[in-house]
Amino acid sequence: MSIPVYILKRVLQAIPLLIIISIMSFIMLKLAPIDPLAYLRANPAISAQAIKAEEERLGLNKPPVVQYFIWLSNLVRGDLGVSTTGGSVFLLLMQRAGNTLLLSILTIFFTWMIALPAGVWAAVNRGQWVDKFFGIFTTIGMSMPTFLMALLLLMAALATRLLPIGGLTSPDFFERDFLGQALDLAQHLVIPVTVLTFIGLAGIQRQVRGNLLDVLRAEYVRTARAKGLPEDKVIYRHALRNAINPLITLFGFEFAALLSGAALTETVLAYPGLGRLTLEAVLTKDMNLVMAALMLGAVMLIMGNLLADILLKLVDPRITLE
Amino acid sequence: MRALLLCLLAFSLAACTQRDTAGPPQASPTTMVAGAQNGGVAATAIVNFPNPGPFKLVEVNDPRYGKMECWQGRGESGQFGGTFRVSTFGGGPKTFNPWVASDVESSGLGLLLFEKLVDIDAWTGQPYPRLAKSISISPDKREYTITLRQGLKWSDGKPITADDVVFTFATIVARGYGNSSLRDTLSVYGKYPEVSKVDDLTVKFRTAVPFSPFLKMLPNVPIAPKHVVEPITKRPMEAFQGFWDINSDPKSLVVSGRFMLDRYVPGQRIELVRNPNYAMVDKQGRRLPYLDRFVYAIVPDQNTMILKFLGNELDFLDVRAVRGSDAAFMKQKEQSGNFRLYNLGPDDGTTFLILNMTRREDPKSKKPYVNPLKQKWFNNQYFRQAVSHAINRQRMIDNVLRGVGIPLYTPETIASLYFNKKLKPYPQELDTAAKLLEQGGFTKRGDRLYDSEGHPVEFTLHTNAGNSTRDGVCVMIADELKKLGMKVNYQAIDFNTLIDKTNQSLDWEAIVMGLSGSKTEPQDGANVWKSDGRLHMFDQRLPNEQGKVIVTDAREWEKRIDRLFDLAATSFDEKKRHEYFDEFEEIVYNQLPFIYLYSILDITAARNTIGNYTPTPLGVFYTPLGSLHNLEEIYFKKARQ
Repeated sequence: MSIPVYILKRVLQAIPLLIIISIMSFIMLKLAPIDPLAYLRANPAISAQAIKAEEERLGLNKPPVVQYFIWLSNLVRGDLGVSTTGGSVFLLLMQRAGNTLLLSILTIFFTWMIALPAGVWAAVNRGQWVDKFFGIFTTIGMSMPTFLMALLLLMAALATRLLPIGGLTSPDFFERDFLGQALDLAQHLVIPVTVLTFIGLAGIQRQVRGNLLDVLRAEYVRTARAKGLPEDKVIYRHALRNAINPLITLFGFEFAALLSGAALTETVLAYPGLGRLTLEAVLTKDMNLVMAALMLGAVMLIMGNLLADILLKLVDPRITLE
Repeated sequence: MRALLLCLLAFSLAACTQRDTAGPPQASPTTMVAGAQNGGVAATAIVNFPNPGPFKLVEVNDPRYGKMECWQGRGESGQFGGTFRVSTFGGGPKTFNPWVASDVESSGLGLLLFEKLVDIDAWTGQPYPRLAKSISISPDKREYTITLRQGLKWSDGKPITADDVVFTFATIVARGYGNSSLRDTLSVYGKYPEVSKVDDLTVKFRTAVPFSPFLKMLPNVPIAPKHVVEPITKRPMEAFQGFWDINSDPKSLVVSGRFMLDRYVPGQRIELVRNPNYAMVDKQGRRLPYLDRFVYAIVPDQNTMILKFLGNELDFLDVRAVRGSDAAFMKQKEQSGNFRLYNLGPDDGTTFLILNMTRREDPKSKKPYVNPLKQKWFNNQYFRQAVSHAINRQRMIDNVLRGVGIPLYTPETIASLYFNKKLKPYPQELDTAAKLLEQGGFTKRGDRLYDSEGHPVEFTLHTNAGNSTRDGVCVMIADELKKLGMKVNYQAIDFNTLIDKTNQSLDWEAIVMGLSGSKTEPQDGANVWKSDGRLHMFDQRLPNEQGKVIVTDAREWEKRIDRLFDLAATSFDEKKRHEYFDEFEEIVYNQLPFIYLYSILDITAARNTIGNYTPTPLGVFYTPLGSLHNLEEIYFKKARQ
């Protein structure tokens, strides 16, 4: 099967999958005993009529099945609806998407740039201090809660006064020239990127190390060494090339997370990303916004998997697309 | 640094720590440590800047603007320039449209952008003309003649006239555009006042009956620029919701307030810029405000907010940013951080325990909302009094609020203008509580308390999850009531679920909750206290299918409270009003439908470079205006770039 046909097939398969995901998400959200208007109800200054008007405006007085079909038919027409907080969901997502993308891409870049060589290094020097050091380092990364790490770095920033505390831009951002703006962004990004890289690093470094160790025991590596190839070539041309397949799958997952954001880190660091927006929406049961965020996540996951499969095919000729 | 680390860890682990500190009374060392650490802040006297008296009206002849009548600032003359950086806690405003706004953050933004017709004086708590120049009330107390100042202009240069005022009240509010609650706050017996234009600068309001809180309710309504908003009101009603929504161009807003909206950076901050048409001057006749820009960061987490302040990214922390758990630590940082903490006294919000006194049955399932056994306990006055006497409010404040609060026994806090001073606080008295229970027909056998029919007393206590303060409070209450032999099963549930229980399903037994209030006008609590009120939580009566609440089973004292609120609403005699509200408070003090626990203290932190910061206990609004009631006069002592 050629690649374009394969892509088309996968896209067609994705449609029923997305519908099922949307139905399940919708049911779960509806089952959650959360009232999107609770804050209005608890406010003595809001009248009963005002609450009723709001229910009608958001369609909350209709049966859930009807609400779902309204949502679906709007979606098909490309309309993501309005948020309970006012404003179009599409615009709300767009405002934050850029910030999250910036953070995710930098994080993925640094994670892989560090994890790949570190994994190789640890595998080659198995059992030596480098390996042990990374072992401890990644254990900390895997076990440390993200919010704690974020808070610790914020306190370090406060103590040293070297980095800004939270946010993405300074109040005078728009008065600066291009270079100044870039510098300001970079300063604000250091802490969130460090937190997410440190956390993400752990899994990938271990995966690289583990896979490479498996491959290094393979016979063709022994053959390569036996025929006198330099060690560099043995590792990077022969061993790593064969160890990379599971990593591509992992990369597919990372791609899926590009737009999901990291809700906890974003909240602690006051980072204006999609994760924080979604978390706030879930807590107030902002149906249209949560549904849009969930569907976006589902689409990204499907795309990420597809991308990984195609990359696998390109990297490893033994794989057939069937 | 280490103190900060510990402090922050304490936030993160707040729930656990508070469970520990809320242990049995033998754990007195904890109490002492907590008290000693915080003596500093809670012991700071409540701010008491001398009342500068009413605003003076001055006439300004500006060649660019012509003749205009301005209010003169009451503070010292300051310096122009600078960007004031504050922050608010939450997800940011939901709309820029102040008539649609129904949440604190959007309404808070509206306060900066729109000047009020009549405002509440920060020192006296009384209404005074703001956009207006004068207010006069007719002898029958039904007609208000309000005259605007001359020469006022919108931010786009168009004059502010009686047409704008009439349009606001007769079209936007009367027809219920946006948040229709605005209409209800001004209505009396369901009748909205008539509004008419007298001349270009004068309007008349006429209420159906004399309604004394009327002027105090007027500040709820921002005056709209008719030339901008009127076209929208000609379109279908839904269009108004989308008008000036969060995605609209900030610069398209036409405002009357101290600042204009300059930029909204979603999820990060709101930037406002000085409104050159703002008609107030300082003592040297220079046009206010002093500040060039006002920027407030939208921060989702209070810890980040405090760190930003300590990191000098903010100039000011307003009320509700500094919690009890942070106050001691902040106090230590005053010197090195070049700032001062201000104690504004008790907040208008109250925290209370309620027992579900509903005696009716669900019309659908024909089952009682509350187990009939427990109904009897909760409706037993001795029972409620015993519970109130068993609670150690002071220890709650020392341990859970770290000293930053005051015990509360009445619906009005001691900060309220209508606080009944005769109602004395009482300490925890377990003996009195035990006696009250005996009088109420309960008997204690062994460790357990039994009612007159021999059923053991046991009920469930809820509060909203995720609020570590209330969590600690509930653990303490359960612990104290255990000493009386009651078994209290404490369970934190989601805020929305909690509201569903109190407002709809009525399936609850005991709840610890909080409500906001008003220090200047108890009438704001009518929604809570009237027997058909929407938040009459201790015995919530639900609307029938026609949406009407019909009260069939009001207790004698509930009827009396209804009557007292009606009397106070229609009386203009301040002495009489005080008597009515005093009686209301006394009834609540004795009947205890709400068992009040405490009010937190409002603490703010301001950098010492800020000039004219003169907060008052009564001048506290929604943030970011918060305690900056004289924001136009706030300045930097050394104007910062």
